[in-house]
Amino acid sequence: MKNIVLLCAQGMSTSLLVNKMKEAAAKAGYECQVTAYPIATAKEVGNTADIILLGPQVRFSKAKVEGECPGIPVACIDMQAYGTMNGTKVIDQVKKVLGE
Amino acid sequence: MMETIIMELVVNAGSARSTAIEAIRAAKSGDFTNAEAMLEEADRTLLKSHEVQTELIQKELNGEKVEVGLLMVHAQDHLMNAMTVMDLAREIIDILRERN
Repeated sequence: MKNIVLLCAQGMSTSLLVNKMKEAAAKAGYECQVTAYPIATAKEVGNTADIILLGPQVRFSKAKVEGECPGIPVACIDMQAYGTMNGTKVIDQVKKVLGE
Repeated sequence: MMETIIMELVVNAGSARSTAIEAIRAAKSGDFTNAEAMLEEADRTLLKSHEVQTELIQKELNGEKVEVGLLMVHAQDHLMNAMTVMDLAREIIDILRERN
């Protein structure tokens, strides 16, 4: 069971994507837990994650999050996938980053 | 689909904001060519949000009521925030250039 953590400014817009990702994961039989949080909580929620995904609006904080969550892969969500809320594309991105 | 319109606003405004901050960082490191290029890119991205926004405003002016929920308010915050960060990024990069 992969723990996927999504971070954006307030965890609000990424919440919309969470549902789409869950649907896509269920369809593909990919076992994971997907949760959205505000980026301010990165340190608390990120260190137990298998992967951290950043929304485009907090892309510039990538280095900061990497510093706060050492060893956890941090990726920026593909802008087009985010804008169109393409859950399948984001799950594919997760698998790619995790080398699955 | 209102959800798609909202995400279109968030993703473009949010990305423009990230790029504007990255532009300031480039200027801080003395790379003004890259900083300018990033500002232009941020401008182009922000313009996409503006186009969506204009469409929404015109709809409302034409008597088509636009549904305003918390997510739409959130998207408006993103847009406003991106515009402010863009304006300030331009000023900050100018100051850095003068001092360089």
